[in-house]
Amino acid sequence: MDTKNLKVVNRRALKMDALGLACGEPVFTDDVDLNGMLYGRILWSPYAHARIKNIDTREAERVPGVKAVLTYKNVPRVPHTTAGQGYPEPSPYDTYILDNKMRFVGDRVAAVAAETPEAAEEALKLIKVEYEILPAVFDTFEAMRDGAPVIHDEEDSKNIPDAKHNIAARFEFEVKNGKWFGDADFVVERTYRMPYLQHCAIEPHTVITSFDHFGRLVIRTSTQVPFHVRRIVAQALKMPVKKIRVIKPRIGGGFGSKQEILLEDVTAALSLKTGKPVKIEYTRRETFISSRTRHPAAVRLKTGVRKDGTITDAEMDIVLNTGAYGSHALTVMMCSGSHTIPMYKVKNNIKFTGRSVYTNLPVSGAYRGYGATQGFFAWESQMDIMAEKIGMDPVEFRKMNYIRLGEGSPVFKAMGEGREGVEQVITSIGLYDGIEAGLKAAGWQAKKEKYKGQTGPVRRGLGMACMMQGSGIPEVDMASATIKMNEDGSFNLMVGAADLGTGSDTILAQIAAEVLGVKAGDLVVYSSDTDLTPFDVGAYASSTTFISGNAVKKTAEKVRDMILAVGAKILGRQKEDLRLENGRVVAKDGASCGLSEVANTSLYYYDQHQIIASASHYAHTSPPPFAANFAEVEVDMETGRIKILDYVSCVDCGTAINPELAEGQNDGAVLNGIGHTLSEEMEFSANGTPLNASFRRYKIFNTADMPPIRTILIPTYEPNGPFGAKSVSEIGINGPLPAVANAVYNAAGIRLFDAPFTPEKVRAAIKNSKGKK
Amino acid sequence: MKKKTTGLEAVNGVFEISLGVNGAKRTFAVKNTEFLLDALRRYGYKGAKKGCDTGDCGSCTVIFNGKPALACLIPAFTAHGAAITTIEGLGTVRDPHPLQEAFVEAGAVQCGFCIPGMILSSKHLLDVNPEPSEEEIKKYLDGNLCRCTGYVKQIKAVKAAAKKLRGKGRVSGV
Amino acid sequence: MNHIKYYSFPETPGAALAGLLNRKTEAMAVAGGTLAAKTLPETVENFVDLKNLPLGYVKKRGGDLVIGATATFDAIDNSKLAKRWAGGVISAAAARCSSQLIRNMATIGGNIARPHSFNIFPAVLLGLDAKVRVLTKTGVKTIPFSALYQPEFRFRPGRDSLILEIIIPGKTRNWACRFEKFAKTEASWEAYLTLFMGIWMKAGVVKELRVAVGALSPRPFRAESAERVLSGAKLAPVSIDAAVLELGRDLDAARAGEFKKEVAVSLFKRFIKERV
Repeated sequence: MDTKNLKVVNRRALKMDALGLACGEPVFTDDVDLNGMLYGRILWSPYAHARIKNIDTREAERVPGVKAVLTYKNVPRVPHTTAGQGYPEPSPYDTYILDNKMRFVGDRVAAVAAETPEAAEEALKLIKVEYEILPAVFDTFEAMRDGAPVIHDEEDSKNIPDAKHNIAARFEFEVKNGKWFGDADFVVERTYRMPYLQHCAIEPHTVITSFDHFGRLVIRTSTQVPFHVRRIVAQALKMPVKKIRVIKPRIGGGFGSKQEILLEDVTAALSLKTGKPVKIEYTRRETFISSRTRHPAAVRLKTGVRKDGTITDAEMDIVLNTGAYGSHALTVMMCSGSHTIPMYKVKNNIKFTGRSVYTNLPVSGAYRGYGATQGFFAWESQMDIMAEKIGMDPVEFRKMNYIRLGEGSPVFKAMGEGREGVEQVITSIGLYDGIEAGLKAAGWQAKKEKYKGQTGPVRRGLGMACMMQGSGIPEVDMASATIKMNEDGSFNLMVGAADLGTGSDTILAQIAAEVLGVKAGDLVVYSSDTDLTPFDVGAYASSTTFISGNAVKKTAEKVRDMILAVGAKILGRQKEDLRLENGRVVAKDGASCGLSEVANTSLYYYDQHQIIASASHYAHTSPPPFAANFAEVEVDMETGRIKILDYVSCVDCGTAINPELAEGQNDGAVLNGIGHTLSEEMEFSANGTPLNASFRRYKIFNTADMPPIRTILIPTYEPNGPFGAKSVSEIGINGPLPAVANAVYNAAGIRLFDAPFTPEKVRAAIKNSKGKK
Repeated sequence: MKKKTTGLEAVNGVFEISLGVNGAKRTFAVKNTEFLLDALRRYGYKGAKKGCDTGDCGSCTVIFNGKPALACLIPAFTAHGAAITTIEGLGTVRDPHPLQEAFVEAGAVQCGFCIPGMILSSKHLLDVNPEPSEEEIKKYLDGNLCRCTGYVKQIKAVKAAAKKLRGKGRVSGV
Repeated sequence: MNHIKYYSFPETPGAALAGLLNRKTEAMAVAGGTLAAKTLPETVENFVDLKNLPLGYVKKRGGDLVIGATATFDAIDNSKLAKRWAGGVISAAAARCSSQLIRNMATIGGNIARPHSFNIFPAVLLGLDAKVRVLTKTGVKTIPFSALYQPEFRFRPGRDSLILEIIIPGKTRNWACRFEKFAKTEASWEAYLTLFMGIWMKAGVVKELRVAVGALSPRPFRAESAERVLSGAKLAPVSIDAAVLELGRDLDAARAGEFKKEVAVSLFKRFIKERV
């Protein structure tokens, strides 16, 4: 199969909402004004671990304009998870709308709704809280010790494997085919660390709740998971699902942080209490502290390798910091292994041990890369270390060991997301071509030669890394779509898939247009609204192109069938002899009629019916995209400053439905990963107070910082994907840490294990290595 | 001779200010605690976005007396007498500015939240420097953060717009 | 800001100062406002906006370079005069401040009015022997920049006095200078350290040398012992090594810590070696 004959898919198509966005149209959550809307504000815990002994809200309630003050005393207490995942969620049910126990600086104490933001602020100041301060724990290894403070000591939480040792999730898995490391010529064991990292979507989390003319609750929210929002809010507030409508307008980026029920429950509770529309909009500081983060990780990787390049054993032990609540504790941890270990063949033994641990720090959640980022930093650094041990070129070592077409891995079956996985084999892979294209684009050979034997204070080097991800969660993720035909031969495409800025509305329209023989612009896309669009798990796990795309393709095929049936009547031909092309039904003998004639016939003239269909899709496989990344760096040996001179990222995402948008996804993921590599890190005081919760002090890359980034798409054809497509959104973020670490080693002879690679750390590593020599 | 006023007085903490927004004379009633971004949004100019409220992300960029500035840092009452251009004043879906078209055509718009600010910064850059180098573009846009795109296609869009505008022989002046 | 009753936008420094000195209302002067507006003391009643003062210039006067207090970072960055002065170090420093949007708004006067470790200009002005003209109730005072943050200077610019302009002496015009902002990334807002280095040589002998260090504390300082070692000396490996050693001592005295000291020393060494 190939993409030669495609007319809309794999072709250029402008992102359909781009012009409105570029003109500043009021399309985001906060861009509407509702009459009588109240402003919600939340009081945050100043302590990392404390119990509310007393809370007095009387004075706050007396502030003019204040309409409601909520505490744990007057909201339902239902243990739930905030993670927007398939149901029942594999997460601990350890979260409450409001609780009498505070588990991190930034935990919710109370919520206020008032007629003005000022009145709400004033009320927050007047809430009197008496705390019993409890000992806090911030380090995952300390938190697991006997006698450590127990963060979830409440009786009614569910599904916490070992609350006494603060273990929010754990998983172990082993394949044993012989003596551990018995076959290895070298054994390498290293630990790789990543800190707290924030998504930094430029739009902060915003929710507006109101009521419709039936008195139903309407939640307008910046979410990646509208249907999970509806379910979880219903659960937490003990409401029937039918009483809730969730609208996802345009979203200002998410990257996983909006795969979470963060404000919807408490905003809804304020609306229910007051009977009025309520808006809560996070400040940037709140977004840093009280939304979600990437899980800080310590990954211990112990691998055995033979001189001939065979990887004999792999033991991966990951400890993640889930912060105060369990959210994505289990699934991120499992993905750190399931998305990484299958990348290379391991001959004998594989063992994975994972633990996600509660601490009194901000809550970790889903973040682009979803565990694979942590895992690949370890794996791809270790690949270079092993290659050096056996005296093999690191590129050749990877080429020799990466998983091939038709091959599987015991890991696929053993490890899913929160449960057993699904057996699968690789059905498309363009890694070899990706590596070759990258070597060429980076000028690898010539530069490697040129940079040999440098002695000056500023040295250059190259490094590379390979990676994979998934395309949705097999046998878990489900998406559906509805297509409805209009008089002029245009179509409404209604999808639950949540375009959060990725362009999924556009690529889904391209898929439908390809099937229906029309232009992408003939599809009017609407996403997403739980009243109007069919179910979709939402935008996460790199699932939209693959899962939602297939759902749209199936739906379009049903609609095509209905169109051809009407066309057959109009043209007096056999349905089997008809096809859709250029907005017309065309018969083999050349007879044809326009789609508007088909639509009008079906709506007005004959055997009247609406041409409309829905279809769903779920998959038994999650075909991984593959990528090879290449970094060229300059290391200042005297100051420790790393400069990335060039970054090439070659991605096999199958067929790129929209090449421009696919490139854009990867460019953005790469620069985000480069931020992780060189600068990003949330810092905390000794008592757990965040120190750099602002764009001023948590530095994300801007145009002046960015290195040249080149994305090269490597076309393959994935037989299970819509028109051969796989995912593209997450994989790019996994490359920069290991690729840059390897390049720094090549340039400066130092190995970095601790992200981000700040000048201070680099300088310390340089001094350390000199001390050893 | 009419004496020039050099001050305004608040009534109950509210200033009444006169200003020009997108070429139209407007009168705003603004609280003494209010910043220009909030006032603009309150008066319907939703194209200026609040991404941080601390002057660090650039989503609230407007052209303020001829220069791109951060509306979240400007006390609203200090906009008295100012001429402001918001993204709504640059172009519309029906009649977009070449920069808006170039951003769309280059695939530079992902979530779009930062785009109005980035386009306004680019607009001024091209007004003063019709043929900017890549380095000049990168320097000029360093206050407009974007987390989606990695800036690659946005820089491409500014270059394309520059070319287009040069072709027209002028940069549209607002 | 909820006590603000008056918004004044005077057109002369005298009128602005009168507003500040009016005892009936507590007043504060704000220029670019990028920092001040968000950190204005709650008690301020009169917001004195300096935007209309005719102080936005960068010009030559006598042999000196004179920068008006309300000149923005962007104006200084793009000033042809500043770009040619002392190897363009003042423009280069202006370009390293925060972001373009801040550079469009923030002024040099605002940047030096109060000491902060993140300010860009103080180290540069200290190193260039700049003078500051300040309007006070007793008239215009011209003081060395180095005196601005000293307790002996009893005025608080923006509250009871106004910075009018900054004078960069003509002798620095052809100095070889460099400004380094050493931060986590190219465009980080905060720096580990900023370093101004300026040198003037004649016939192979160092006539003038300035090493000013910023960002370590709110007030920048000159590494005077390092400067002394090379002043009047020829640049030779021995004298350079001695100066480097002294710079390390100066930084130790400022409690810079090992890492920042190493960085400063290597940047200094590179700068000096390029002069040999």
